[in-house]
Amino acid sequence: MTGAVPDNRPNNRPDTPGSIRPTPVDPPGDGRPAAVEFRGVTKIYNEGTSREAVAIRDVSFTIPDLPDKGEISTFLGPSGCGKSTVLRMVAGLEPQFPPTRGTVHVLGREVVGPGADRGMVFQDYTSFDNRTVLGNVTFGLECRGVPKRQREAEGREWIARVGLDPRRDAAKYPHELSGGMRQRVAIARTLVLRPRIILMDEPFGALDPATRLDMQDLLVRLWREVEATVMFITHSVEEAVYLGDRVFVMATTPGRIAAEIRMPAAAAPARETQIEPWFHEQVSRLQAQLESIEAAASRPGE
Amino acid sequence: MVEQTEKGVPAAEAPLPRGEDPAAEGHRIAPLRGDLSNTAAFFWGFTCIAVVLAVWFVITAGPPGEAEKRMVSPTTLPSVEETARAIPRVFGERKLVTNTLVTLKRVCLGFGLSCIVGVPLGILAACFPALRAFLAPLMVFGRNIPVAALIPLTFFFFGIGEFQKVMFLFIASVAFVLSDTAAAVLDVPQRYVDTALTLGASRWQIITKVLGPLAAPSIFNSLRLLFGLAFGYVMLAELVKFGSASGGLGDLINMSQRRGEREPILLVLVIIPMVAWAIDRALWWLQSDLFPYRYGGAGLIPRFCGWLLHGRRTEFRP
Repeated sequence: MTGAVPDNRPNNRPDTPGSIRPTPVDPPGDGRPAAVEFRGVTKIYNEGTSREAVAIRDVSFTIPDLPDKGEISTFLGPSGCGKSTVLRMVAGLEPQFPPTRGTVHVLGREVVGPGADRGMVFQDYTSFDNRTVLGNVTFGLECRGVPKRQREAEGREWIARVGLDPRRDAAKYPHELSGGMRQRVAIARTLVLRPRIILMDEPFGALDPATRLDMQDLLVRLWREVEATVMFITHSVEEAVYLGDRVFVMATTPGRIAAEIRMPAAAAPARETQIEPWFHEQVSRLQAQLESIEAAASRPGE
Repeated sequence: MVEQTEKGVPAAEAPLPRGEDPAAEGHRIAPLRGDLSNTAAFFWGFTCIAVVLAVWFVITAGPPGEAEKRMVSPTTLPSVEETARAIPRVFGERKLVTNTLVTLKRVCLGFGLSCIVGVPLGILAACFPALRAFLAPLMVFGRNIPVAALIPLTFFFFGIGEFQKVMFLFIASVAFVLSDTAAAVLDVPQRYVDTALTLGASRWQIITKVLGPLAAPSIFNSLRLLFGLAFGYVMLAELVKFGSASGGLGDLINMSQRRGEREPILLVLVIIPMVAWAIDRALWWLQSDLFPYRYGGAGLIPRFCGWLLHGRRTEFRP
């Protein structure tokens, strides 16, 4: 299942702490449960009928829970390879959840439904239109019953952390915000709940390239602060390489994981990193892999 | 202007000076689905009223006292002048204002009852498929029943007083309120529910904090349109009646018909749409102000309420 890709991380880069970071594929031996673990997970819709459709078949992988660190796993693959299915299964969202066969464990416990311990950011803007930025960011705390004064203080803090102005933007409504600002609100709304797992389903897919780079930097910075495990779906190979500590390459018919590749952690901002030679090398290697997967999928008789 | 691009003139080509291309001139006067300036819109609106009045004037014109020389006999249609002369009588003797208020009170009570019952039930029906399936036959029945045929039944059920009229309006409109509300809640995209679930909201919180508020603009819009429907039904309830005069615009028409007077009927028929239109515009203003994020209003009421509730922390800018 795991693609045999040689580890060509640039070990001579002293400014890249990730280049020497051990990233074990298997759960650490200290008995600490994995952050996310899929064991033989299959999802078939309308099984046994003429409308049977296989979303993913026999998907198994492990994302370790690194003490005080967490990491970003990116999921790459053609449309229909089941990337969203995998993510929504971790979130416990129907109809992808529950799996037809196999088990999904998060931090050692089987997923039984959605919960605030697994925050999710969607590609489509999901700001609650009737709430201000502050009202959106504090939604989860409100549901938990945190007192108003306390949740608004926390909300303002997170509005500032995602790069918005708490004084000017807190009282704005989502329709007054740009796409990038809306996604910042969505990220703040998720992170204010301190989830251990953060699921991101192409969150920057609808943004223009410049905003996208800013958001990537923001994510890397925030992730270091919150030390959570991030699962990030993207169509952009560059994004997958820049953000990912490991990249899962997925293939179609049936949806499955074709390769798992470890990546060096990027220390420099997105704009600087993404012009470096090693970065380009990784991107073209992955691009070739994706193209061969797509070519295999489109061959007749497969 | 946009007429050049609409005709598909390539960008490299110099656009023709205005007025030289007859086709472009036509596009300017009658743009395809384009916006019209307020002045032009008022001009066309007033032209329509003027045309109707002119036709009315011409077909009822004739020398005074010689009614048989008119194109349309005064027993069919009185002239513009005769109708205008009836205005003081309709306002004075026939108590037009009082009767309008009586009618409005009935609509508000009957339709208000429909909203109190229909909106919460509609939200719950949208959230719980079993309840939706349970109510489905009632909704189909209520939406397709010929309301006029309900009137005789309501006399048996609710007597011949005010209660019958209010209940008739309730029965005639509640199915529409219920199904429109349910449709508005079902229209809220699932991604909002998914988002709320991953933020730890309970089912009840999703209904009260997500689905209800997000569907509210559409629900209000439906209720505004249905209010117009209820306003039409109340005439029916007032026209078909037992016993003595009960007031209301429908009763006013009824009384005039029995006395053989055409002018008050015509006047009431002009007043009813104007009242309905004024109410609709007022509700539209309220709607756009309450939901500025959907209908682009100024949001004065929400901001004022927020300012009242939270005091100094949020700024109130009228």
